[in-house]
Amino acid sequence: MEERFIIDLWVNNRFGVLNRITGLYSKRGYNIETIHAGPTDIPGVTKIEIVSTGDDYMRTQVISQLEKLYDIRKVDLRTEMMED
Amino acid sequence: MRLKGAEILIEELIKQGVDTVFGYPGGQVLDIYDELYKASEKINHVITAHEQGACHAADGYARATGKTGVVIATSGPGATNLVTGIANAYLDSVPLVAITGNVSINALGRDSFQEVDIVGITQPVVKHNFMVRHVQELEQTIKEAFLIANSGRKGPVLIDIPKSVQTDLCEYGIAVVPRMPDKPKVPYMKEKVLEAIRNCQRPFIYCGGGVISANAENEVLELSHRLDAPVGLSMMGRTALPDSYEYNLGMCGMHGQYAATKAQAECDLMLAVGVRFSDRATGDIDEYTRKCTVIHIDIDKAEFGKNVNSDFCLQGDVKAILQDLLSELKGVRHQEWRNEVEEFKKVVIPDRPGEFCPKNIISAVRKHVNDTTVVATDVGQHQMWTVQFYDFEAPRTLLTSGGLGTMGYGLGAAIGGCIGSGRKRTVLFTSDGSFGMNLNELCTVVSQDLPITVVILNNNVLGMVRQWQGIFYNERYSQTTLNRKTNYAALADAFGAKGFTASSLEELEKILTETDTGDTGSYVIDCHIDPDEKVLPMIPPGKSIKNIILKD
Repeated sequence: MEERFIIDLWVNNRFGVLNRITGLYSKRGYNIETIHAGPTDIPGVTKIEIVSTGDDYMRTQVISQLEKLYDIRKVDLRTEMMED
Repeated sequence: MRLKGAEILIEELIKQGVDTVFGYPGGQVLDIYDELYKASEKINHVITAHEQGACHAADGYARATGKTGVVIATSGPGATNLVTGIANAYLDSVPLVAITGNVSINALGRDSFQEVDIVGITQPVVKHNFMVRHVQELEQTIKEAFLIANSGRKGPVLIDIPKSVQTDLCEYGIAVVPRMPDKPKVPYMKEKVLEAIRNCQRPFIYCGGGVISANAENEVLELSHRLDAPVGLSMMGRTALPDSYEYNLGMCGMHGQYAATKAQAECDLMLAVGVRFSDRATGDIDEYTRKCTVIHIDIDKAEFGKNVNSDFCLQGDVKAILQDLLSELKGVRHQEWRNEVEEFKKVVIPDRPGEFCPKNIISAVRKHVNDTTVVATDVGQHQMWTVQFYDFEAPRTLLTSGGLGTMGYGLGAAIGGCIGSGRKRTVLFTSDGSFGMNLNELCTVVSQDLPITVVILNNNVLGMVRQWQGIFYNERYSQTTLNRKTNYAALADAFGAKGFTASSLEELEKILTETDTGDTGSYVIDCHIDPDEKVLPMIPPGKSIKNIILKD
């Protein structure tokens, strides 16, 4: 079943990191609905929030593929309910 | 110690244990090549005819040795020529570091001469890539690149070094030793896995390239003995077990051995070790695992559930996991299952009439080489025949393009494999189609004086595509009849190698005896075969063993 979900990413703030992330989505034909990035308290680390829609398979794949990226420190699937 | 960026690169390569690099010089890597010139006693640079050949050579070198292959190219076209080679290494998880020059930092983004965004271009086909923007980052970047390439699931890493970074000065020897960041892992469900293994009656081990990457060949063999389980191999797993081992059933999948694919379909437990369940290996996914429990062991978490939903997933180094499981498993016998598998083995593929066929050619060549001889292939029918009919006995003796299926891979790979094996006799099985793509590397074979024997299975057609046209497109042979008039023997002579033509087994045997010259001499043997030879058995794409085609 397709559902909207939010993924929070903590990434090394190096140039090109956003390309790598969006590339993982676009390579598989997955759409990103909202993307938001901003600094954190940790020097050199940026937090990125991505909203997209997909089924269980897509969600699992996206998370495990994102976790593999060298510049990604942490991937969290946000568990709170989505509000429209 | 203050050094130029180019000097830092070479010093760090030496520190990483690199003694051989493949590449092609050009405007934006002049400083790197100047340092290579000075370091020529420590690093052997192999100049190829084309950057693609260099990249395949670095890939072949890495597959044959297990070390990280290194390729260097200039900016722009030099860099883009690497792309196929990098993608090839990516899909087959080969450790490779590609180093490209680029225009100086202040010229970037201005469409300067020979400028391309190679970091952007290669991003979907590398494990990671870097552009070094300050010489202060260079040493650390190289260390990280080698770590990433040859750890975990291996793969290619590209480092793009602008010209100004190569010439800037910086202190060397200050970088810290990097380590791979910790990532969440799948919980290790050992007890449940052991229970599933102990309860099965018809175990089957499906062994892939990950077993070779992890040097876990002995553990798989021991597991097969212990569980009395037959082993089927993916194409990348070919060479993980010797073909002389009686319970090695050979390759599974689209063009696999009947017994291997059948046993895989009939088992009640599949231990899938270091595999990624490629569509060419599985066919119809639902049918594929309908009768069995699947235990998937792999180092890459993202492979779990990607193509096949396994019942159990064990994440980690294949060797370590197998050792841990083996420590808990006692030897068992499954005689009934063994009898069944013996029956599967009796299904044979009828030979086409005519003795000068791929099977006999490959067997004839095999008799003139050793168990440790490195064998490269290109892509297509000859590749499948080699994987089916050549008896492999030692790991890392097969260099073949699995995931990407790169026609033109073979000659470069043979060059890298030959150098990696200590310049021992190396064989390339190719075809007129594939060989035509990158045969320019014959000049490298000759200039490097490499003992490579190129065997062309020449059918004057693009055989694999033609086979599909024959079966699925009602024999409409669109653009697969080549009608070339190339004289490959003369071509080999023109390059400075020695060429031969064979049209019968007797002629071939005579040539093989004449060219059985140990580790000297570069040869091309053009074998003329029937264009209607097919690769069989064949399971049509997306289908299962029920739809297997056994004869023409």
